[in-house]
Amino acid sequence: MTADSETLSPASAAFGTAAAVTALFNTALACAKDAYCPLQNVMNAIAGHNWTTQGLADVVLFAGLGLILSRTRMVRAIRPDRVILFLFAAVAVAGVGLFAWYAVY
Amino acid sequence: MNITINDAVLLAHATFGVLGTVSAVWVFVEALNAREENAQRTQTAALAVAIFMVAAWIFGGYWYLHFYPVERALILKGPWPFAHNLFMETKEHLFLMTLILSLYLPIAARDRLYANAAARRMVLCVAVLVVLTGLSIEGAGAIIDHGVKIALLRSAVTGAAK
Repeated sequence: MTADSETLSPASAAFGTAAAVTALFNTALACAKDAYCPLQNVMNAIAGHNWTTQGLADVVLFAGLGLILSRTRMVRAIRPDRVILFLFAAVAVAGVGLFAWYAVY
Repeated sequence: MNITINDAVLLAHATFGVLGTVSAVWVFVEALNAREENAQRTQTAALAVAIFMVAAWIFGGYWYLHFYPVERALILKGPWPFAHNLFMETKEHLFLMTLILSLYLPIAARDRLYANAAARRMVLCVAVLVVLTGLSIEGAGAIIDHGVKIALLRSAVTGAAK
């Protein structure tokens, strides 16, 4: 029986952090494009529709940031539970934030 | 029977979304019982979540861009405009978070969950988030669908009364 380890692999920690940042970015971008029409127009022009552009931007940010972070030592220094908590809190805040934004906008 | 491309794409979107959500439950159960013997199965389930959610994104995106504008116009004229203004707007952006979590799940599941408590907690957390956001999105889909239905019913009743 192997003793339990308490570390995330560099890839898991890096892409977990990237997922948390992307969740917050996604909500921020959704609010920004509604509040600022020129941004929505630019996003419509990039991929034909602002939602398509937003989805592609999220995927590129997640993949790019994950790859960059996995090559640095920064995420390895963060305790695993903090990465997990950051991801959970980011998705909760971003999800509730989206609902609240469209409820009042 | 008359099934249009509109119907087929919409049903494919919802089906893949449900399959992705159910696969996330599968990942959760495998991670709860993580052993060396089920490590490969956990990774397969995590990959299934990612594949199903990407399929749901593609079908949903195609339907949203090509067929939804007609339904949106109906909803906004009907008694439940919030079905679009609140629930569709939230759903279409919340889904992008579910997609990112689903893409991350196979990466998190590559760690040796049976020997790594932190990796196990991460996979459990991500699986739960996929399930919760997935169920919220399915619920929002039902409200949007009902928004279209009652808009059509009201216009039919109004039309019959004239």
